[in-house]
Amino acid sequence: RPFINTPQATGADQAVGFGLVGFSLLLFTYYTIWVIVLPFVDSDHVIHSYFLPREYSVILPGVAALILLLCVGTFIGVITWKNRKPKKVD
Amino acid sequence: MWIILDPKCRGFFNYNFALYLCTVFSTMTKLLEWLLGASLIGMAWGLVTFDLLDLQLPPQYRELAWPMPVYLLVVFGCYSLATVGYRVATFNDCEDAAKELQAQIKEAKEDLKKKGLKM
Repeated sequence: RPFINTPQATGADQAVGFGLVGFSLLLFTYYTIWVIVLPFVDSDHVIHSYFLPREYSVILPGVAALILLLCVGTFIGVITWKNRKPKKVD
Repeated sequence: MWIILDPKCRGFFNYNFALYLCTVFSTMTKLLEWLLGASLIGMAWGLVTFDLLDLQLPPQYRELAWPMPVYLLVVFGCYSLATVGYRVATFNDCEDAAKELQAQIKEAKEDLKKKGLKM
């Protein structure tokens, strides 16, 4: 029987996948400008108004990492709680 | 523990420590390589950020250096996210083959039930 459809990801998969790629490119560009480009730009240039003070470039990823850890830990806890089996009674 | 500071014993410990370092370097595993590389880079970063050698670098370079560890982590995270997203988007889903396989599984289950196997 010949293939009718060529193997391909479904629409939702493609949307999510390319959405992730786009989001991470945006994040990378913004963060790179913030950390690497801004120190070499004059402090009275207008571009500085689009970026928070420099301390936040370390604090915000730290907070995000904490939140991520919290979510992962909660998820593991919920799954472990759901799968707990009563002890066998002889 | 403080025997190492006693001058009569120090030579003994120095010699053995040097021998130990030689064995470590000659049997350098990948882990040790990575740890060594990472600690060298870490020391270089610490020197620049906390100005331990009083190098008096221009302020822009010091401003650039101190968020570096967090920056590298964020870049690594972005790269991971992009790779996962791209692989999800270009995954070769064979819907026809999946449906065919599920039909075959159903067929096999019914066949085995008829022959007496308990599911």
